[in-house]
Amino acid sequence: MSGNSKLRRQWLRWRFHLSALLVLIPLGFMPQYFHEAKLDRGLRGLGEREIGNLQVGPWTARMAEWEVGEPEDEGRAGFVKAFTLAFCDSCSPQVKAAYLRIGQPRSLRAAGGLFAGTPHQQFAEVTIPARVTPADQLWLTVEGWDGAVHQAQIPLDQASPSLVAWLEKTRSNR
Amino acid sequence: MSKKSRSRLWFLVHSWLALPIWFFVFLVCITGTLATVSQEIVWLFDPAVRANAPDDDAPRLGYDQVLAAVAQQQPQAAVHMLSAPSESHFALLARVTYPDSSSAALYVNPYTGVIQGKVPLFDFRQFTRALHGWWLVPFTHGFSWGWYLVSLLGLPMLASLVTGLVVYKRFWRGFLKPTLRLRQGARIFWGDAHRLMGIWSIWFIAVIAITGTWFLIQAVLYDNAISISSEGVPTIIQRDSIPLSADGKAPPRIGLDAAVLSAQQRIPGLEPTFFRLPSSAYDPLHIFGKAWYPLMFESAQVNPYDGSVASTRLLGDRSGLEFVTESMRPLHTGDFGGVWVKLIWFVFGLILSMMVLSGLMIWSKRTLIATAKQLKQQKARERINVAATAETSQ
Repeated sequence: MSGNSKLRRQWLRWRFHLSALLVLIPLGFMPQYFHEAKLDRGLRGLGEREIGNLQVGPWTARMAEWEVGEPEDEGRAGFVKAFTLAFCDSCSPQVKAAYLRIGQPRSLRAAGGLFAGTPHQQFAEVTIPARVTPADQLWLTVEGWDGAVHQAQIPLDQASPSLVAWLEKTRSNR
Repeated sequence: MSKKSRSRLWFLVHSWLALPIWFFVFLVCITGTLATVSQEIVWLFDPAVRANAPDDDAPRLGYDQVLAAVAQQQPQAAVHMLSAPSESHFALLARVTYPDSSSAALYVNPYTGVIQGKVPLFDFRQFTRALHGWWLVPFTHGFSWGWYLVSLLGLPMLASLVTGLVVYKRFWRGFLKPTLRLRQGARIFWGDAHRLMGIWSIWFIAVIAITGTWFLIQAVLYDNAISISSEGVPTIIQRDSIPLSADGKAPPRIGLDAAVLSAQQRIPGLEPTFFRLPSSAYDPLHIFGKAWYPLMFESAQVNPYDGSVASTRLLGDRSGLEFVTESMRPLHTGDFGGVWVKLIWFVFGLILSMMVLSGLMIWSKRTLIATAKQLKQQKARERINVAATAETSQ
């Protein structure tokens, strides 16, 4: 009984200072904060997972999956996945624009997400259409300042195994 | 309920609002206070952040000269943003990426173009903001729960202000007759200090509580995909307005200085503080700055090929609601009128932090007794009632 009342006395004494324990939250997140600060400085490289070099017409580009994992649910915009790209030093001055989409585009106007960023790292988001299957391909469409248009394809399982895994999981549930 | 017991109740509500979470509130106030002057603290400790002129009448470089200077010192760096703080004692900040995909924010001297350093991994300014704003809890999908944790405090703070003024009868007399009794014991001193600091910072507490509550509303709206923005889709340069090039090379683009002149013709008095360079062939050059209204930015999107203004976002484009909501953030942080406004926010932030501490001191000396007394009275009343019903039923 005396132990109990001792506990009770401690509780009465300290209960209003318990919010000090909330300090543990930022302390706990501190390592993650600095890890993310490092990632923000591009220490992740072009992206979390390099896809490799790609020849598209006369140009070569490096591509990467920005983040490995399931695509992001953007509500009405559907599910999207981000990829990154960098053209070779001599290529980028000749490239006007690059686009990315799942499946073959019907025209340049529908070539998909536009790559934007700096010559060293450009981002594009592709939406994941409802009818995509793991056998589909990622289509990179590149438009040169000379007006030429070149295309290259990457099988989805090479572009993003994590996306394929997600597709297999969600498609089999239907 | 009698008038006296009602005010007693208000008093108890006032006392209990912050008490169970006082330490958390106190830390949020302290970190927020530090955040108001974090840029100045960095300025004091890191010479690379300072914009020292080589001599008294050295002119500031044009923006094109700044970019040229960066390109000359770091040919591999691709600049994508340039900010020119409106307070002239701060160096310019250029955000760049390198061929290995790493990035940096470089401090550039506005008089010489010399790259003086870069923002370190431990960025004190960003760290205090993250600690104060979302308790370092990372943002994953939507707003971080730390953001909710902190911004929820706006509600008890608002309630504290209102109940405090109800409890402090005829508080306006405190302005005319300030009282701070130093020699009559700790309870009297802390009580006087709490009331005195409280009435002089009514405006500040109201500003912080209301804007803090707005941050909560903002997160709720965002996380439920509710938009109140009147801003349309981003401006893109139309395909047919981009000049064709015969030699297969990109057409020439205008410089930042020419773009600023073009923007100023459309927005007279626009003082650019921030540039976002085109991120693709179809992206305009974005120029942000303030004209007459200190709380909100106006912007011009300039076609980099012909210098025409493709679109603008002006004060008048905002809805009445946006005028209010967009003013909330600068009102909270105090970063809209130079170092003096920041210092005012800093001082009142300290006072607000002291309100929490003095409130705790008063409570530890008084409120416990008051609560016990109230409970005793209530029990006594109940006993009388029970006795009375017992009597009448007999």
